[in-house]
Amino acid sequence: MKQLSERIKEAAFGSLSSGQVEMVIGWQKGPLWWQSFPAFITDPGETASLIWDPFSVSNLNKYLLNEVPKKKIALFLKGCDALGFNQLLRDGRVEREKVLLFGIPCDGLVDPARVEATGLSKGLLQVKKEREELVFYYKEGQRKAPARDFYYSKCLSCRYPNPVTCDEMLGEAVPCQPLERFANVSKLEAASLEERFTYWSRHFSRCIRCFACRNVCPACSCRECIFDIAEPRWLGKAKESGETLFYHITRAYHVAGRCVDCGECARICPLGIPLAELNRKFIKDINELYGEYDAGADLDKEAPLLTFKSDDPDVSA
Amino acid sequence: MKRIGVFVCWCGTNIANTVNIEAVTEAAGKMPGVVYAGNYKYMCSEIGQSKIKSAIIREKLDRFVVASCSPRMHESTFRKTAAAAGLNPYLVEIANIREHCSWVHKNKGEATAKAIALIRAAVAKAARDKELWATQIPVEHRALVIGGGIGGIQAALDIADAGFEVDLVERTPSIGGHMAQLDKTFPTLDCSACILTPKMGEAASHPKITLYTYSEVEKVDGYVGNFEATIRKKARSVDLEKCTGCGICWEKCPSRVKSEFDEALSMRKAIYIPFPQAVPNVPVIDRASCRWFTREKCGICRKTCPAGAVNFDQEDEVLQKKYGAIVVATGFDVLDLDDFGEYSYGKHPDVLTSLEFERILNSSGPTGGRLLRPSNQSPPKNVVFIQCVGSRDKSRGKPYCSKICCMYSAKHVILFKEKYPEAQAYVFYIDIRTAGKDFEEFHRRAVEEYGALYLKGSAGKVFPDGDKLLVKGVDSLSGHALEIEADMVVLATAIKAKSDAPQLARLLGISTDTHAFFMEAHPKLRPVEAHTAGIFLAGACQGPKDIPETVSQASGAAAKAIVLLSKENLLSDPCVSEVNESLCTGCLACIKVCPYSAITEKTIEEKIHGKALQRRVAEVNVALCQGCGSCTVSCRPGAVNLKGFTNEQIMAEVDAICL
Ligand SMILES: Cc1cc2nc3c(=O)[nH]c(=O)nc-3n(C[C@H](O)[C@H](O)[C@H](O)COP(=O)(O)OP(=O)(O)OC[C@H]3O[C@@H](n4cnc5c(N)ncnc54)[C@H](O)[C@@H]3O)c2cc1C
Ligand code: SF4
Ligand code: SF4
Ligand code: SF4
Ligand code: SF4
Ligand code: SF4
Repeated sequence: MKQLSERIKEAAFGSLSSGQVEMVIGWQKGPLWWQSFPAFITDPGETASLIWDPFSVSNLNKYLLNEVPKKKIALFLKGCDALGFNQLLRDGRVEREKVLLFGIPCDGLVDPARVEATGLSKGLLQVKKEREELVFYYKEGQRKAPARDFYYSKCLSCRYPNPVTCDEMLGEAVPCQPLERFANVSKLEAASLEERFTYWSRHFSRCIRCFACRNVCPACSCRECIFDIAEPRWLGKAKESGETLFYHITRAYHVAGRCVDCGECARICPLGIPLAELNRKFIKDINELYGEYDAGADLDKEAPLLTFKSDDPDVSA
Repeated sequence: MKRIGVFVCWCGTNIANTVNIEAVTEAAGKMPGVVYAGNYKYMCSEIGQSKIKSAIIREKLDRFVVASCSPRMHESTFRKTAAAAGLNPYLVEIANIREHCSWVHKNKGEATAKAIALIRAAVAKAARDKELWATQIPVEHRALVIGGGIGGIQAALDIADAGFEVDLVERTPSIGGHMAQLDKTFPTLDCSACILTPKMGEAASHPKITLYTYSEVEKVDGYVGNFEATIRKKARSVDLEKCTGCGICWEKCPSRVKSEFDEALSMRKAIYIPFPQAVPNVPVIDRASCRWFTREKCGICRKTCPAGAVNFDQEDEVLQKKYGAIVVATGFDVLDLDDFGEYSYGKHPDVLTSLEFERILNSSGPTGGRLLRPSNQSPPKNVVFIQCVGSRDKSRGKPYCSKICCMYSAKHVILFKEKYPEAQAYVFYIDIRTAGKDFEEFHRRAVEEYGALYLKGSAGKVFPDGDKLLVKGVDSLSGHALEIEADMVVLATAIKAKSDAPQLARLLGISTDTHAFFMEAHPKLRPVEAHTAGIFLAGACQGPKDIPETVSQASGAAAKAIVLLSKENLLSDPCVSEVNESLCTGCLACIKVCPYSAITEKTIEEKIHGKALQRRVAEVNVALCQGCGSCTVSCRPGAVNLKGFTNEQIMAEVDAICL
């Protein structure tokens, strides 16, 4: 990790000082052990503050939508981020020539909630990764534990730990050993209609409509989202279960066929609503109906929901 | 505040019997923005319309809702009413309280409540109506006719006689279609070729008609008045201009293959004309069976052609042409009998389809018109005709009646008996359907004058039995099992849609019915028009038909096309989509779904934080947009919106019904 941190600093410094890019977007450490924030750096002198640690989970590429670069912007991409970047590209929301991409092979990042759950967080100052282990630093000393036990569930089922696209890869490729991602979907599919409705109604009834799941999503890159538009008001403001269902069903349909399964929405949700299961149901259906399609990775394939073929299955039948 | 009028129609008793008109009128009067509500027995009548006009003036209405039948019936009527009273015609909404309400409900209380809800939705939509203006689009004064059977030939001749240029595209080397294969035609028994050949000649020599034989339409873009078609003229390998049709080439050609025109009952050459009266009388080389093309040997035709017309290097030619109207006349196929093993078809040479029988009867056919058993060239004594093979058969064939088989089977009986007065004809039938002018008389002749034995019932099985055929069946009137020893069996094979009809429909943007016949816009009132404006249907491609029906429909389609082509301009529907550039993210999903290729991308420039930014957005070409609305559902942020049916209006309708 140390090494990668150094390479990130070097890459940022090099591209800024040479004038190749006008901004670098990376991560900086916050005051607490679990805080790694997006950082926007234009001064080569500040690149030393960039880091790479087990909490550099934020996907940086959606920040590109706010920037209007004259030259280029440099950006660090993990495997999941690269998929999202490709989707933004496909949707015409970023220009490939306007970005310099540094790829980071990543075998998983740490979910602070799992650290808390084990009680290791008490008095915790810092967490570092050393090969397959996490080292927890306290005033009194350190403790070690297998890293994989603390990873986000999205990381455990990650199929592309090595970025599928970038200009320069920083670091060695990591092995890929994903868990079966449709296991929960298959379980739900086997349940009855009532059971499924209860399952989702229960989950969605907790949603506070913070829209974090939309904001973080690389497939949600609209200039103005329909859920924010006042006229027509597609979504009412009232805390009403029908409105929340409408939000979730519509969001899921909007990302259907474009969701890259980066897992960000489910990760970001403060209520732990299992959005990945909804997205993956769509992915599974699309794969089964129109053939395997991996949004974000299959750039040379036509998007199945935007193409009509005469032998497409008749889904209504 | 808007000043909305609501006019509730009784539609005689159609609506009034099921919907409480007074209650509906009263409720409508209280809806937001409504300043007047009235009702009348027939709103579409002169009196009804003048009631609307005077209410517009008296009540200073600035828009109105008519609660009546489907907008497909009278939307245009009421738009004209609005225009006559000085209102923009697009400030009119229809609440369909007939098809959507009174016709589908029995309970008056519930139907009344539903009618009120439908009107509330229409009022909410009307409140958001904006003035729209139709634009003029010019008409290309040329017609395309696809398919050169009798239907296509007739349509082409009629349109050309009206003074418009016509391109007639035929897939096979000659025009003529199935009619060219027939011997004599019911109910008059005139020879098919004798009445068809002059028409073919007329089409070929008409100064306004261009024939494209051995050609196919590959692509059609555009819209009514302005279609653009891509036509592929397949390489004939013979120069149409130079060839004199002398026939030396096909005499000398050493390669022989089965003749499609003779239903594989005879052989033709690799360089061939399908039949002696072919138009144009210029052969084609079937490259798949030509020795020059398969083995790079031979070339006899080129050597012997006195006109030097054979050209092995000829290539397909692809033409782009513009048309104002299209007539589709691609005809039919006969059902494949693979699933009907019980008739021994294909296993015994004396079991024939009716079309093969036509060829055998025909004097230019494989036997020169001598009706002999294919197995041993002897004259048949007993012939069994089996009707409805694959017709009215839900399980293996087609559920519909092929319509022409009763008549041509009677014809076959008569023609057979004319040749062999001593012989016997048997006909197995389910029902006899002879509803046409002189049809019943014709059928009676087969029975009474020619002594055909009509057996009501099904022929269950046909077995080869020595040099005969044994036909087993049941006479359902007497209940007796029957066994007939036959020399020949003729199967009245069902008529079906052309196997590639769905592809052609997709290419043209028209619809097909469940049996793949092209669908007319209205089964009663618009039988010759397709759903897509500017495309007309003629002949058996729309459903099984005999020649007189085909010709009448072709002339009807031609008349409709002529009406269209006679116009200088068409009014375009202003209900087209538009893009809100500030919402458009440039994802271009809309481009991919637009069936009319009406959307393109463009780059716009805007200032953000003082910096000029270029970005891509979608743009709708209003001349191409047909207002189908597909784009609006593909657009996630709702940036593309259909005028007259905006997202705002639809949401207002939903709210009016639900809230
Ligand atoms: C056995 C039999 C006996 C009959 N006897 C009688 C009778 O005695 N009296 C009577 O009135 N009717 C009779 N009929 C019915 C008659 O054949 C039809 O009514 C008539 O042929 C219909 O004409 P059409 O032009 O619609 O179709 P068709 O005759 O099928 O012509 C269609 C033409 O379109 C061409 N085509 C098809 N697809 C394309 C394409 N994609 N592009 C370009 N060209 C295309 C075809 O090659 C063909 O030339 C009989 C039918 C059968 C099967
Ligand atoms: S829906 Fe969720 S998993 Fe899919 S692309 Fe968006 S953030 Fe990633
Ligand atoms: S929810 Fe739909 S409209 Fe909103 S940002 Fe996502 S894709 Fe766009
Ligand atoms: S992030 Fe969670 S709580 Fe927030 S809107 Fe999405 S599902 Fe609801
Ligand atoms: S679908 Fe909507 S956002 Fe996408 S290009 Fe079309 S109008 Fe723009
Ligand atoms: S409404 Fe949209 S999809 Fe339909 S024709 Fe017009 S632009 Fe194309």
